[in-house]
Amino acid sequence: MLAKPLRPMALQARRLYVELMFQVMGRALQGISEVDQAARDEARELPEGFLFEMMVRPNGPSLVVEHLGGGRFHYHGDNPPRPVDLSIQFKHIAHAFLVVSFQEKTSEAFAHDRMLVDGDISYALRMTRILNRLEVFILPKLVASRAVKEYPANLKLPQKVLSAARIYLKVATQFFDTARAS
Amino acid sequence: MSQRYYEFFCPVKVIAGKAALEHIPYELSGLGVGRPLLITDKGVRAAGLLEPVLEACEEGGQEIVTIYDDVPPDSSTHVVKDIAGIYRSEQCDSIIAVGGGSAIDTAKAVNILVSEGGDDLSAYAGAGVLTSPLKPFFVVPTTAGTGSEVTSVAVIADTEKSVKLPFTSSFLLPDAAIIDPRMTLTLPPHITAATGMDALTHATEAFTCMAKNPLSDAYATAAVKKISTHLLKVMDNPKNTDSRLELAEASTMAGIAFSNSMVGLVHALGHATGAICHLPHGLCMSLYLPYVLEYNLETIREPLGELLLYMAGPDVYATTPANRRAEECISAIRKLRDALYQHCKLPRTLQETGKVEQDQLERIARLALDDGSIMFNPREVTLDDAMAVLKRAWG
Repeated sequence: MLAKPLRPMALQARRLYVELMFQVMGRALQGISEVDQAARDEARELPEGFLFEMMVRPNGPSLVVEHLGGGRFHYHGDNPPRPVDLSIQFKHIAHAFLVVSFQEKTSEAFAHDRMLVDGDISYALRMTRILNRLEVFILPKLVASRAVKEYPANLKLPQKVLSAARIYLKVATQFFDTARAS
Repeated sequence: MSQRYYEFFCPVKVIAGKAALEHIPYELSGLGVGRPLLITDKGVRAAGLLEPVLEACEEGGQEIVTIYDDVPPDSSTHVVKDIAGIYRSEQCDSIIAVGGGSAIDTAKAVNILVSEGGDDLSAYAGAGVLTSPLKPFFVVPTTAGTGSEVTSVAVIADTEKSVKLPFTSSFLLPDAAIIDPRMTLTLPPHITAATGMDALTHATEAFTCMAKNPLSDAYATAAVKKISTHLLKVMDNPKNTDSRLELAEASTMAGIAFSNSMVGLVHALGHATGAICHLPHGLCMSLYLPYVLEYNLETIREPLGELLLYMAGPDVYATTPANRRAEECISAIRKLRDALYQHCKLPRTLQETGKVEQDQLERIARLALDDGSIMFNPREVTLDDAMAVLKRAWG
C-alpha cells in the first residue's frame, strides 16, 4: 500500500539524479579536456566551435559542451548558444538513468536502441570514447568496469587517482563558481 | 533483473523461388500502382538480366514505363536527382530496382526525392528524418551478398561537398524483395565468392556482436548454414539453380539479421579499406573475418562455438570439445577461404590483393575507429588493436 504514493517521489528522485549526473558529466568533460592529453588528442579532431549535446527526449535534462579548439571543452550548462552540431539523445529518462547509474554501458545503450545520434556518427564515436575515458578516471574501477566495454589494462592507479583528483577539483570549482554567480 | 532488450523490424515481403519475377505484376497491382520506373546499371543490362524481368512484366500485362540503366558503382546526388526528374516527367508511381548495392541504394534515394519532393537530397540525410511512407518500391537483387533489399539504410556520395550522405529510416525498406535464382545464375565466380563471404560476414557479425538478439540469431544461423552448405557447390557448378537460390536466400536472411543487430570490427575495417584502397566490400569482408574473430575470441567464445554447428555441421560440432569449438569455427571459415582461393583466387590476405600498401595500414586503422560499426564490436578497439589486426591480415 505504501509503494503507490512513493512512486512519484521515486520518479522525481530519478529525474533529479539524472540532472545532477548530467551537470557533473558536463563539467567533468571540460575538466578532463584540461588535464588529460589523450582526451585532448581525441577532441582535437572536432571542428572548432563544435557543439555537443547529450539530452533526454523530448524535453528532459541535457548537457552542452563546446569544443574551443586544441581539444579543450567548455561546458554550457543545458543551454546551447546556437543549434548543436551533434546530439546524443536518450529516448526516455529511464534509459538515461540506466546509463548514468552504471547499470548499462553506453555502448550497450546504443546496441539496445535506447539512444539516437543526430549528427556525424564519427564525432559521436569520438565523444563516446572521451566519455568512456572520463568514466574510467572518475569512477572506482569496479564501477567503471560496468560503465565501459573494457577497462584499459594500461591505466595505472597513480595516474587514475591523480587525474580523478584534478578532474573532481575542477568540477567542484565550477559548481562553486556557478553557485557564487547565481 | 536482466538488462536484455532488443528491437526487431522487417516489414519487407520476401518473394522467393522459381518464377518469383512473375509475381511482380500482381504485387504492383496489389499496391494500386502500375507505372513503375526501373532503375539498374549497365552491367546488369549487359549480363542480360533485365530480359527475364521485362518478360515477366510484359507477359503479366505490366508496362515498365521507363528504364534508367546508368547507375554508376558509387552513386551520387546528381544521379539521384536526374533519375527523380525522369520519374516525375514520366509520371511514374513506383520504383523497381534491379541490381546490387549501388542500384538499390540509388533507388532508395530516388524514392526519397520523388516521395518527399524537392531536389536537395542532403536535406533528408541522417537518421529518422523521414516521417511518412514513401512510394511503392520493389527490389530485385542480382548479387547474393549485400542484403540491401532488407536494410533501412542507403549511402549516396555528395560529389560537390565530397562527403558520403547516410540515410537511415524504416521507410527506406522496400515493399517487396524478389529473390529469383535466374538473377544470380550468371554471376562470375569471383563475385559469387566475394558476395557469399559478404553474406557470411553479415551473419557471423550479427551473431557475435553486441546487439545480437534471439530473432536476428535465428536468421543469422540459418544464413550461415545455407552459405556453408551451398557456396562451394555453386563454385563447382555455377548453373546449380537450387544452390544459387539457397545463397540468394542466405544473403537476404543475413541482411535481415544484421540490419536488426548491427555489425562490428570486420565492417569498420572493411569500410575504411574500401574508402582508401577501393577494394570491393565483399572482398574486404572475406579478408578480415577470421582475423577479427581471433581478436574478439575471448568475448565471443560462446556464440562463436555455437556457430560451428551451422558452419561445419553436426558431426564436426559433436566431435569437437566444447572449449575448442570457437577456434574450430574460425578454422572452418579459413578452410572456406582457402577453397575459394583455389577456385577463383579470392585473396585471403591484404598482400594477396596487390592493391594495398603497408604504409596505408595506419590510415585504414584510424578511419576504422571512426566507423559507426565499431560501436557494436564486443571489444573496445584501440588504434593499436586495429593495427594488430591489420598486420595479421597483411599476411
